[in-house]
Amino acid sequence: MAQVGALILVLGALGFLVSQAGDNLRARSIPTGFDFIEQPPGIQVGEGIQTRDFETGGRALWVGMVNTLRIASAGIVAATVLGVIVGLARLSHNWIVQKVSSVFVETLRNIPLLVQIIFIFTVFTTLGNVSLDSGPIHGWLHISNKGLSVPRVFGLNGSFQWLAFMAIGALVARWAHHHQVRKQEETGQLGYPIVAAGGVLSVFGIVGWFAHPVMGFLGPVFGLIADALDGLPEETLQLILAVLSIVVAILWIRRFLKSMSSGGGRAKLTDDDWFRMIFAFAGSVLVAFAVLVVWPGLSSWLLNSGRDFFQLLDDRFGSGNGGRPFDGKRPDIVKPGNFANYGPAGLTLTPFFAAVFFGVVLYTAAFIGEIVRGGILAVPKGQTEAASAIGLKRSQALRHIILPQAFRIVLPPLGNQYLNLTKNTSLAIAVGYADVVQVGQTIYNQTGRTLPVMAIWMLFYLACSLTISVVVNFFNVRLKLVER
Amino acid sequence: MRKQFLVRLLAVLLGFTLIASACGDDDGGDAGDDTSGDDGGSDDGGDDGDDGGDDGDDGDDGDSEDTVDVTQGGSLLDTILDRGNLVCGVGGNAVAFSETQADGSITGFDADYCRAVAAAILGDATALEFVPLTASERFTALASGDVDVLFRNTTWTQSRDTTLGGDFGPTTYYDGQQLMGRVADGFSAASSVSDVDGAVVCTNAGTTTEKNIAEAATLEGANFGGITLQTFEDFNQVTDAFIAGTCDIITTDGSGLVGRRAVNDMFDDWAIFPATPISKEPLGPMYRQNDSVFADVVDWTVYASIILDELGITSANAQAFVDGYEAGVSDPQVGRLLGIDEGELQSSMGLPADAFFQMVLQVGNYDEIFTNNLVPVGLERAGSANAGWQAGGQIYAPPAR
Repeated sequence: MAQVGALILVLGALGFLVSQAGDNLRARSIPTGFDFIEQPPGIQVGEGIQTRDFETGGRALWVGMVNTLRIASAGIVAATVLGVIVGLARLSHNWIVQKVSSVFVETLRNIPLLVQIIFIFTVFTTLGNVSLDSGPIHGWLHISNKGLSVPRVFGLNGSFQWLAFMAIGALVARWAHHHQVRKQEETGQLGYPIVAAGGVLSVFGIVGWFAHPVMGFLGPVFGLIADALDGLPEETLQLILAVLSIVVAILWIRRFLKSMSSGGGRAKLTDDDWFRMIFAFAGSVLVAFAVLVVWPGLSSWLLNSGRDFFQLLDDRFGSGNGGRPFDGKRPDIVKPGNFANYGPAGLTLTPFFAAVFFGVVLYTAAFIGEIVRGGILAVPKGQTEAASAIGLKRSQALRHIILPQAFRIVLPPLGNQYLNLTKNTSLAIAVGYADVVQVGQTIYNQTGRTLPVMAIWMLFYLACSLTISVVVNFFNVRLKLVER
Repeated sequence: MRKQFLVRLLAVLLGFTLIASACGDDDGGDAGDDTSGDDGGSDDGGDDGDDGGDDGDDGDDGDSEDTVDVTQGGSLLDTILDRGNLVCGVGGNAVAFSETQADGSITGFDADYCRAVAAAILGDATALEFVPLTASERFTALASGDVDVLFRNTTWTQSRDTTLGGDFGPTTYYDGQQLMGRVADGFSAASSVSDVDGAVVCTNAGTTTEKNIAEAATLEGANFGGITLQTFEDFNQVTDAFIAGTCDIITTDGSGLVGRRAVNDMFDDWAIFPATPISKEPLGPMYRQNDSVFADVVDWTVYASIILDELGITSANAQAFVDGYEAGVSDPQVGRLLGIDEGELQSSMGLPADAFFQMVLQVGNYDEIFTNNLVPVGLERAGSANAGWQAGGQIYAPPAR
């Protein structure tokens, strides 16, 4: 009951605020509405998957979103790796390693991120100029005031075949891993599951390097799927999607009821459970309604993009894609117009990207390091002692006793750091990196649609945060101690 | 058990109906709110009309106030008089237009026009609060009422005039967008847009500049590979990145480039081009729309500064003009503008009769404002579009009568 009231109150308040904002904006003749998404914005974006000649404002915003996702995902990986190293280093018995990592943590987490980002950017701008006269780049790395360029590894068409080959390898490796584990459990002899799995994978990797064209047969298969999608009428897909969403909801409710029922009698359900079921069903009906009535273009879009996707796979897997699956190139400097700059051969981080990237990575790594250190220290000492009492070596104790428990403690705060990192990338505006905030701001300055753009920002960051939360929660639930 | 379920179902259904009806109410409520707002507005307007009702002219003003009050509820002019100071949005880092000095004060061409409006309304050029705004903050700040008026080298464009909820006053400076490159890179005043092929071009975000350069690059055609356009929040950052070499080319209004070159170009290495700007950038004041009373005050402050320049009345000799004025002998336009003559028009605008006398005394006429601020950085009035109309320029004001 209270929940119904709360829901109505929240929705009502939200509706009131939105209508108030709309009224006030109209009263000041400030335009509202999302029409700018459909109109050409007439702007350029600093970097990204497309930088000029945007057909719609939505596309420009999408470029900004991709830039944000790019920096956030690369940042999460880099910050985790660096953070774990720093955290372990702080626990090291080596005096120098321990002190260096302590200084790293204490310095970086006590300086505001904005200051760090601006500092890194300023450092970049003080570096030397790029010029064609400096000749070819001897070496792997080139830093200048136009950015940082490193060698790039990129997949050729054969890489798809190689990856398909590796997928089979992964299945085999999984089987080898299981086999070793079972042997150890049955006979008590020490097995080598990791070594076995790794060995299988590397064998497949090496063989696949030369033999990947055998996977070429997948091309025509994908071609057939593409043709089938092309022949499927739009209405059929609409119907399938609608029925599917309702069926999924009903199946979920049935399973939910079953999991709630205790033996013979009827399930005892709380208010919360009723709400879950009603919302699940209402949601599926809403989806069906949306697919059938509100947005019929969705299914044709799905059909078209699905067909294009499989056609692309068909091309990539097609015959004649022999040769190396991957290739690498060193950075180079080119002069396409009248100015020297880094060419497309190397992987180039612009000073703007680099400032934000290194800023968020170093800052977050300092926090992750502390979380990792805390997580390891939080495992009771008795666990280590018990492990050595049953005769485990120190490395075995760490691998099988300490780290699994530490990981369980570390995961939730780690998820928070990922959320922080993603949101902190919005500081990119300080150095002009073309993230979603910077592009959005440019668009609302040109069109005056401040609130609509902000609504898009909020939805975008909300979606990012929820995705990260879902992933972290998934692992969190899996790692949870099973209590009975 | 069964009863409980029914109660719950009913509760949920009730909830949905409430939500649905709430949504329905919103639409109806909007219309209701609007009309009631109208009523309150016209009441206020009537009161204002009573206050100022002196002669026939005021009848018109009353009418115009009525239309104002539909959305605003009273002119901004009354608010400023009550408050005792003018809140003026400026750039804060535009050389020669609005520069923040070491002691925190703001000087420059735009800042002087803020002073002029403050002197005209309140009789005191210092009854003024400057609000430094970035290019991307300015329109929101104006629309939300954070500032009364923008003197922030803002270009008058159709889209800004019609979609941002503001209106533009008379142009105070005719500008045009140009580019600036290094002489070391082979640039001179004779260079053109086609020479910047492949450059990293920097400018500040949220300006017309950004669109102009994107359009100019598109117009260059197929042989032009294109540019990388990098935008910064603040023009100081743009200049710093240009000095550092991260930007190959920077672009903004020609006056801004000249100003920056005067301040930052230590080695005489910067060239501004092309000779004919790539865009028209008429810079002027901007205020919220549908407030004709305040709009008139800003417009006529600018016009008065131009007319006083045409009449040769400066801050130095204004007092002499007042002292030596004789009705029927001297130029009546001077008498009206300085508020000495019976037929002066400032009172009917809601200003003190000596509004423009105070303005010219405390700040100066157009030429003085221009000469004090823009000439030192190398921007000349003679021969440019900013010369007076008698000298072949564009600076022109309607007659004061």
